[in-house]
Amino acid sequence: MGTILLLLLVFALILAVGLAKDLLKAAIALAAASVFLSVVLFHHGAWVAAVFELSVCSGLITVLFVSTISLTKDSDQNEEAKITGYLLPAFLLFFIGVDFFALKWIGKFIQPANEIAQAATGTAGFSAEFWGSRTTDVLGQSALILAGVFAILALFKRVAKHSPEGMKHE
Amino acid sequence: MSSGIFNPEVYGLLFFGLLTVMVGVYLLLGYRNLIRIMLGVEVISKGITMTLLGAGLHQGRPDFIQALIVTFIIVETILAAVMLGIVIISHKIHVTLDIRRQSKLKG
Repeated sequence: MGTILLLLLVFALILAVGLAKDLLKAAIALAAASVFLSVVLFHHGAWVAAVFELSVCSGLITVLFVSTISLTKDSDQNEEAKITGYLLPAFLLFFIGVDFFALKWIGKFIQPANEIAQAATGTAGFSAEFWGSRTTDVLGQSALILAGVFAILALFKRVAKHSPEGMKHE
Repeated sequence: MSSGIFNPEVYGLLFFGLLTVMVGVYLLLGYRNLIRIMLGVEVISKGITMTLLGAGLHQGRPDFIQALIVTFIIVETILAAVMLGIVIISHKIHVTLDIRRQSKLKG
């Protein structure tokens, strides 16, 4: 029951992201949603994932969003499609209906939990799972982090080229 | 809410996860501001995290799904960093964040 209440809270904050007119408030609502999602993860024993969600998603990503919003403050941020916000509650009813029937349909193809529990052989723990079974993933993640760093470096190199000072030299 | 073959907590995670993904797609399609579009992508990723957790709990493999969620969070962070970098560059070039006015993107 506690999980359902927490999920309702997360979903309410997600709706606040869609309905907030101010981008800064929307970013803060997203950070709050991440905090409560990390509580859900912690509640279900996914401690490492909870710490990642709390530190990275509600910390780092929020900082990135707030920096971007402040760096682009002079743009036309208020000129938004207002109708999208007004129509969101109406669409929500449609989404709930689709979601309900989608899960009912998916349920036909999924093995019941009690059968899976009988077939399960037990787990080796997070460290063995992450460093042992998913070594390729870890390598992929390292490559991805490097790719991200190089992408950011390349992007900000291009800024210098497009800046007025850079154009004078061309 | 009828849980069927899922236990109520797993059903809740899957239900709200899919609902959050749908709301994220709605934000992606409905807004024109690039930062709002990025917020939509982040909303979708929250929904996917919930759905992954629900699937892992249903399978009875919390450690395996925890490793996948950690991987997904890293992917999400790199995506956000690179996309927000592109947003800043785009704003410097076009002086707007409205995707309709970014005519230089036309091929």
